Amino acid sequence: MVSGVRQPVLDSLAAVVLAAGLALVLVVAAGRLESARVGAAETEARMAAALWEQEGGGADAVAGLLGERATITGADAGGAGPGPGAYAYEAGALEPAVRIAVTPPPADGPRGALPVTAIAIALAGLMVVTGWVLARRRGPTRTRYPVGIAFFSLGCMGLTAVAAGRWADGELRSLSAGTAAQGARAVEIALATGAGPDGAARVAQLPWAQDPSLDSPTEQWTMPAAVAAAIAASPERGARTASTTLSAMPERDVETVAPPSPTAQDASAGTPTIAPHTVEADGATWHVARTADIHVAFLGYERTASPALALAAAGGLAGLLVVLVLHLVQLASRPRALRRTLAAWGLLTPAAALILAFTLGPLLFSLWISLHEWRLIDPAPLFLGFDNYAALLRDREWWSAIGNTALFTLHVPVAMAIALALAILTRGSRRALRWARLALFLPGITSVAAIAVVWKWLLSDQYGLANRGLERAGLGSVPWLTSPDTALASLMIIGIWMVAGYQMVVFQAGLAAIPRDWYDAARVDGAGSWQRFRHITLPGLRHTLFFVLVTSIIGSFQVFGLVYVMTEGGPLGATDVAVYHIYREAWEFLQFGNAAAMSWLLFAVVFAATWLHFRFLDARRAHG
Amino acid sequence: MARGLLLAGACLVMASPFLWMGLTSLMGQLEVFSGGSILPQAPRWSNYPEALTAQPFGRYFLNSLVFATAVAAGQVATSAGAGYAFARLDFPGREGLFMLFLSTMMVPAVVVLIPRFLVIDALNWIDTYQGLISTELVSVWGIFLMRQYFRTVPRELEDAARVDGAGHLRIFWSVALPLAKPAVATLALFAFVDAWKNLLWPLLVTRSMEMRVVEVGIAAFHSTYEITWPYQMAAGVTAVLPIALLFLFTQRYFVRGIQLEGIR
Repeated sequence: MVSGVRQPVLDSLAAVVLAAGLALVLVVAAGRLESARVGAAETEARMAAALWEQEGGGADAVAGLLGERATITGADAGGAGPGPGAYAYEAGALEPAVRIAVTPPPADGPRGALPVTAIAIALAGLMVVTGWVLARRRGPTRTRYPVGIAFFSLGCMGLTAVAAGRWADGELRSLSAGTAAQGARAVEIALATGAGPDGAARVAQLPWAQDPSLDSPTEQWTMPAAVAAAIAASPERGARTASTTLSAMPERDVETVAPPSPTAQDASAGTPTIAPHTVEADGATWHVARTADIHVAFLGYERTASPALALAAAGGLAGLLVVLVLHLVQLASRPRALRRTLAAWGLLTPAAALILAFTLGPLLFSLWISLHEWRLIDPAPLFLGFDNYAALLRDREWWSAIGNTALFTLHVPVAMAIALALAILTRGSRRALRWARLALFLPGITSVAAIAVVWKWLLSDQYGLANRGLERAGLGSVPWLTSPDTALASLMIIGIWMVAGYQMVVFQAGLAAIPRDWYDAARVDGAGSWQRFRHITLPGLRHTLFFVLVTSIIGSFQVFGLVYVMTEGGPLGATDVAVYHIYREAWEFLQFGNAAAMSWLLFAVVFAATWLHFRFLDARRAHG
Repeated sequence: MARGLLLAGACLVMASPFLWMGLTSLMGQLEVFSGGSILPQAPRWSNYPEALTAQPFGRYFLNSLVFATAVAAGQVATSAGAGYAFARLDFPGREGLFMLFLSTMMVPAVVVLIPRFLVIDALNWIDTYQGLISTELVSVWGIFLMRQYFRTVPRELEDAARVDGAGHLRIFWSVALPLAKPAVATLALFAFVDAWKNLLWPLLVTRSMEMRVVEVGIAAFHSTYEITWPYQMAAGVTAVLPIALLFLFTQRYFVRGIQLEGIR
């Protein structure tokens, strides 16, 4: 395979590509850390804002908490906005113009990954030497060399990925501990400015857990019992009752346990315990810090992200690069093949890059998003595993949307029957067809929004053309779009109207491909028109029918414009179809993670439908 | 004869929403609610200027034109190159790559919607032309179409050029591409029309009125002025008309595109 190529060229190329892949892996790991740092800054900014406005701490308290890292800007101060990389938080109602910007806490940088990188580089060197040795030998070993390199580099990449992941985990753990300590200090400062335990707890807010044992008017800042129990059982401090939960971001939880009990007034009372420790509860690691008699527990950033997918993608990409480069190097001995390959790559690059960037990449990214609680406003999304999917399986509204979508697709067979009739009707008389085709075809290719508006008017209860016609004929009016019983059926009628013309044209092509002799022969045999249709036209159109069925069903699973303009999913969710449901979940409720999970379930349904149809077709082929 | 009548009837039914749209667009605001004749008493042409100035429809049309033209040009460029490479240039991994491309046609657009939006958002391209256009620049269907077409181009022509010393790119550009004009026309038309009627993506990536396309404009106009039906219909007619005219003069390319897709 490598005959004619000079070995050192191959080796150095492979080494360069390998180094690039390793760098990529490290960059991904560093990016994960960076997003957690921004998340930590947000947490601290929220604490600072709570100190400022709720406990009356003001600028001094904020400075006491965050020191140099906080910049306070106000409307009258006219100061510049938050610096690059800072997370800004608007402090609330009392002084709405005040902004607190926080620079993320410092991190060690990728020094931790250096040993691994060194090992990888050493391995690359080893590979070069091995290659050199192997190149001097003759025989089969040598020909398998490039494939060996590809696997070898993938192995190196995997090793680095694991190591980089571990390094990032360590950094994240210390980041989480730092945030817990900051929470404890914020509580301390709040206590110093005269706030009660409840008020002090509030400076690191989180509205999710509830504990009636706390006299909080909102009962918001309580710690889950499991966490409180774990802290109580931990050797360091004996917290007694769960009292307060604090959090930076919703569901990334900072919590405090505040038992104002006399026995806690030991020598260390009032002295903040800034060195946090961790406890395991609820299947996660919690970072705990204590100040005075309040415990702060923080669900660490470790859970936010495991970069496995991103790293695998990076590794895969690098591996692919290795293989491609090896290909080129091999081809170097055959100039014509090399030129052809280079020309092909040149012509393919724009399309391939766009597909990679906007279809294949997003496909994996979407899967990744669906494993998180992901909102546009969160700098560091919370990793959930398959929780989104599990919740969706129990989500009635989602399944009702899927059901509506499935019902809607039932318009496809009807439309196909009409389209087939039209195609047979328009056979032969080609010249008069120009305008007829415009009338039949226009619904399918023109503006969906305009069509939706027209039909909404046409089907309007009192003044629409449809109901006026029905009333004139003495049939009484139909609540086309205003009743849950009829709204979806009305959309299906419009669906038929939209696709029939397009399907007709496809059928015309299919009909033209059936030899006329068959019909003539059948006529000689005395077959009637129905028999000719049944035994010649339908079998002859089998593939066309199948193609139209599958594409139309896939298309109708993605109906959006009609619903968006005409019914907005109503009345009573009767027309809430899958894509519209996903659209609202993502862009109205900003639940991107959930919406991504939904889109993957929809993908699975569409895929299964297509697959079943292909299976069905294969079975039919096998028997017929 | 009976067949002709049946066909005429079918066409009338299919066209009735458009006729109804045209008729309503010329009625008075209260006339539509009078329950009288469906023909306008006196055509009220001023509905058109009034509706089209209620929102900046001129700007919407310009945006749609820019969007659809750029998408059509981009898809032709990317598909022609890729289609030629798949049809004519033998290189290792060609079939696998082609299958990979084809398999992306199975992916429902909504699956990639969220990540595409996040990518465009991260690039700060929300509410810009590049954000609107960049994700739509490649079409696997177009690549397939061009590949099929290039396969029908006789190899002898290319061989003659090769004897004259032309390289692969040169043959693609000066021999194969000029011969593929019909396929290019079909692809450009479909890309243009698909972009023109795209509602969801422009809805997501545009915010300001200055960047809105006609589709989103019509939907927004409808939700703002819910019951002014004559205005709505006037706006609808102006949105439908360009595509109708385009189709009227180029329908054989449309038909060819659909039939190429249908036969396989």
